[in-house]
Amino acid sequence: MQTDEAEERLDRHALVVAVWLAAGAVALVLFHIGFGAGGAVWLAGGFAALLAGFAGHVIVNAVLGTRFTPREVALGLVAMLAAVMALVLATLAVDGFAERFFLPVAGGLCALVAAVLFAMLTRHGPRKAFEVFDVIRDNNRRPASLLPHRGGRK
Amino acid sequence: MTVLILTLLALLAAIGVYLSVAVARLRPGADGFVGAALPGWAVIFATGGIVLSGLDLPAHLALVGRFGLQANHLALGLIPAALAVILVQKRLWLSCRIAGLGSPGEALATYYGSVTLRIAMLTLTALFGLPFAAQLLGGAGDFLSAVTGGALPRGVAVWVLGFALFLPAVIGGWRGVVLSVAVQSLLLAVLLVASAGLAEAVLPSAGFLKAGLALPDGILSDRLPGVIQYSAGIGKETVQGGLFTTVAVLSSALALVGLLLSPPVLYIGMTARAGRNLAFGAVWVVAGLVTGILLLLVPLLAARMAGDAAGFAQQLADADLLAGAGFAVLLLSVRLLAAGFFVSAGTFLFVRELVLPFILPQLDARGARLAARIALAVAFLSVATLATFAPIATAVFASLVLPLAAQMFPALLGLAFVRWISRSAILTGLILGWLAVVFTEPPGLILFEGLFLNLPWGRWPLTIHSAAWGLSLNLGAVLLVSIFTHKGAERDARDRLHDAFAARWKTDFGGRGARGATWSLAFLWAFLAIGPGAILGNTFFSQPIFTEGEAALGLPSLWVWQILFWLIGVPLVWWLAYRSRLGITSSDGIRSLRLSSEHDRPRAPGWIAAGLARVTER
Repeated sequence: MQTDEAEERLDRHALVVAVWLAAGAVALVLFHIGFGAGGAVWLAGGFAALLAGFAGHVIVNAVLGTRFTPREVALGLVAMLAAVMALVLATLAVDGFAERFFLPVAGGLCALVAAVLFAMLTRHGPRKAFEVFDVIRDNNRRPASLLPHRGGRK
Repeated sequence: MTVLILTLLALLAAIGVYLSVAVARLRPGADGFVGAALPGWAVIFATGGIVLSGLDLPAHLALVGRFGLQANHLALGLIPAALAVILVQKRLWLSCRIAGLGSPGEALATYYGSVTLRIAMLTLTALFGLPFAAQLLGGAGDFLSAVTGGALPRGVAVWVLGFALFLPAVIGGWRGVVLSVAVQSLLLAVLLVASAGLAEAVLPSAGFLKAGLALPDGILSDRLPGVIQYSAGIGKETVQGGLFTTVAVLSSALALVGLLLSPPVLYIGMTARAGRNLAFGAVWVVAGLVTGILLLLVPLLAARMAGDAAGFAQQLADADLLAGAGFAVLLLSVRLLAAGFFVSAGTFLFVRELVLPFILPQLDARGARLAARIALAVAFLSVATLATFAPIATAVFASLVLPLAAQMFPALLGLAFVRWISRSAILTGLILGWLAVVFTEPPGLILFEGLFLNLPWGRWPLTIHSAAWGLSLNLGAVLLVSIFTHKGAERDARDRLHDAFAARWKTDFGGRGARGATWSLAFLWAFLAIGPGAILGNTFFSQPIFTEGEAALGLPSLWVWQILFWLIGVPLVWWLAYRSRLGITSSDGIRSLRLSSEHDRPRAPGWIAAGLARVTER
């Protein structure tokens, strides 16, 4: 039974790898063209490819009845943080970057965040989506708060 | 670009190894190394990828570059191929569960009670796993050497690529191979779409939509060159206007049926978990996505490539390095995918059908895994050797593979639906069909003309593909012999299986009207899309009938005809797969059934036992 569950986890993992490999490869090419001679339209295409990858990941979760794993969430957050830092550093350090690329890249990153928020809201509803980030409530919870008659509050 | 291409290839190989290691860690006890149950998505993606790569995409691009839209018409043949596989795959899957038959060869051999059929299937498996795979591997080596400007010699490229394919198979077994193939298949589809789009967007020269296809003199670029041409065949007589008449297209579609009915592809379907995987794979992936990609994108790429794939990759790289490298990786991995799959699957089938039941029946799971690993090493070594040192012989024998595989259709149809088709009928048909194929393809012609005298026909006489020559003789013999032998000695086993099908898994084609409409539409589609009626497509949209003038469509009429019949063909496959439930499998209510007493205690045939004794009992 354990092997079956582990196999299902591996199958899902491989499917997620397939989705991101395809989306990532296209995004990489489009970003490369965009940061070269292409410009904003190609960068938008790159972000569209990433959004397609994210949509594919959400569809995988919906079809297989799974959620994002903690590792996937951590990887996503680290990647987003790295992208934001790279944007800030490039804006400060690279001549002409801000004029050409700041708006499209920042807009693309905002679109990614919006897509994540949209997915969370549609999947969990506003309250549960907020509770995912609400670590302060979990900080010092009392045993009584877990009782059912407290309405599930933590 | 060389370093980038090699890095990307190494990355792909690393992903394959990573997945295989993960698979191996799950089952350290070695169970299921040669045939574990596969997840639905992997079956769906892998089937699409194998079809795309099995018809050798780079060769198809070159063919369209040489013969124009008449060669592009071949892609429509994937729709009848999807129909054929949908017809037989579910019943094969069920027979696997009901009667405990593990592979296509075992299923046919047990159902018809014939060792010869088992040997025939193993022969096909060997042809797919050795010359066919070696041709693909050699092609990948050629291209890698060309695209790196000779920095990597062909021989080195072949062996390095072969080793990269060997690793996932030897580590992860069947499941590892199929997961790697599935992951890469999606990447291939996306890279193909992206490459065509990028080429249109970044390259300055006029492409297919503006300039059409530039072909050699005497070849019709946007028309089919007639319904049939009375040519003696390739090598004897040049066909006027190009090779692909409507009859050539129709008969070539039968060869594509052979790709989908090949033992490795059937084995994927047999090891799939229950569900809608088979239907989804055949309808939306093979008939929908792959056919659509080929019909729509191949002319765009072929027009820009002008027969020089490496040069085109360099053109793209000049516009953007990653785009060029991505296209090169696409053309490399599309061949490697099929090569790795056919060698691995062939080896697993050999181990499962021959080594474990007959040669080394006493092996436990670990021993079986070791045997499979040794067999994989031998197989990959042989393939790399063939690809390196015997490319011409490899190409000659590879030409046989698809038409020979298509000859298994009557046997599979008998197992799935037609209980009165007997063993003698199948064997007679198979022998005649295979002979017809061999003597309308290079191996038979070269051998016969070298040893005896010149034959009056060449390859594909009358522009009819060898698969059709073989299948017409094959089907004729099957029908004729079945009249006299339909109550053969092995009829009981056949009846038991078909009674089980009829009792629990009756196929629902609808009422008489629906049944008639389904098959009438299928034949009407085949007549107009890939049969003689396709000749209408030459001018149907550019010079409409009943009008005096010409329509300024801006696109070749034949291309529009192809796209139209692709869009009509997909619902046709959908009807059979979903509405008739031919592609939907379920494990509910499966009870085991004994087809023959021989199947319960597999005994080595005398000649295997004697051969083995000669080696081991000295």
